[in-house]
Amino acid sequence: MNARGLRRYVDDLLRGRRPKPFAPDDFEAAQIRTAIELRAARRGDDAPRQEFLSDLHRRLAGQMSVAPSEAAPKPNTTRRQVLVGTSAAAAGAVAAVSIDRALMGSPTKAPAVAGQLTPNDGSWQRVAASSDVPDGIMHPFDLGSISGFVRRVDGKPEAISGVCTHQGCRLWFDAPDDRLRCPCHSTSFSPTGQVLTHQLPIAPKPLPVMMVREVNGVIEVFAPQRDEPA
Amino acid sequence: MAAQNEPVGPRPLRAVPDDGYPDWEAVYQDNVAWVHRTLFARVGNRADAEDLTAEVFLAALRPLRLTASVGEVRAYLRATARTVLAAHWRETMGREITSIEDIEQPPDSEEAISTAPQRVAKVLDSLPDHYRRILELRFLQGNSIKESASELGVSVANAKVLQHRALRLAAQVNDGGQP
Repeated sequence: MNARGLRRYVDDLLRGRRPKPFAPDDFEAAQIRTAIELRAARRGDDAPRQEFLSDLHRRLAGQMSVAPSEAAPKPNTTRRQVLVGTSAAAAGAVAAVSIDRALMGSPTKAPAVAGQLTPNDGSWQRVAASSDVPDGIMHPFDLGSISGFVRRVDGKPEAISGVCTHQGCRLWFDAPDDRLRCPCHSTSFSPTGQVLTHQLPIAPKPLPVMMVREVNGVIEVFAPQRDEPA
Repeated sequence: MAAQNEPVGPRPLRAVPDDGYPDWEAVYQDNVAWVHRTLFARVGNRADAEDLTAEVFLAALRPLRLTASVGEVRAYLRATARTVLAAHWRETMGREITSIEDIEQPPDSEEAISTAPQRVAKVLDSLPDHYRRILELRFLQGNSIKESASELGVSVANAKVLQHRALRLAAQVNDGGQP
């Protein structure tokens, strides 16, 4: 029997602290179980913290990026084999975590390269007069089906989508900071579409690049056909 | 940049497969919340729930083959969580306090994550009024012992005794009600 250990354990649970272990008897174990259930039944309290999610994501990215080459899937591996071997995996994970620590200083690998937005059935559509887009200007456009920004790089036009790749909020251009900002979750993108800052558990994808051309003093983007009203 | 080129023809239309994840990040993003909630329901505190959740993903992701279906990946994560939780109790308390049961429901369903709210409601219902009130005030509403005492109109010392007895009785009811 360990009345003090039990009292302290329950008190820690109630204060949201990590409880200190002790050796409970059967009835004390039952009381701890009940205390845990009571505490866990508090509403809306069991969702993971955002910082925890980002931190674990970083640790996992470190582990997964140093995966040994023999971990590559063999063509004849069956699903059955996939689902075995937790303890061996746990041992491997411990080794991986210590390697991961050494790699923490380097920034996490940026996710997939930006894709190019190429509609199946599109046409070249005017987004600006050439004179509207001098060097160093981020010119917004909205064609209804797609919207984005066009600018000049070494005299040639480039265009990117103006919709956040996280949940689709419309980006605005913060000229003093030279970046596109999302009003929803503080994500920001460079004028080339790369993610600069985010506070999400997983970095959103870069902004898709659009096909763009300049003909006869007009800048055009290859965009989906507009639906003609019947 | 091939922006000046004319676009190529469209690719054939494909249905999205209903099983499988594209990469480990998708596995993580889609499952971390229910794994955390499942563990929180069984340890009752954030620090342990976070450590155990991290342990599950660090152990599970590397050997995972992405040819497994979503259902298989979730079953595997739940099985890993069961092992990790059992080891946690063995190492800290020397015995199993709570466990992750075998269930029919999908691991990310509310019934699988935790039956604590229903069980707790049943236990509280069976307790005398004062006992029920002190447990509600302390555990469910997160009041301090002082606040709870004044709410119940008793001294702090009395509230402590009340909480102690209420938890003993609740544990008897709770364990008696277990299969």
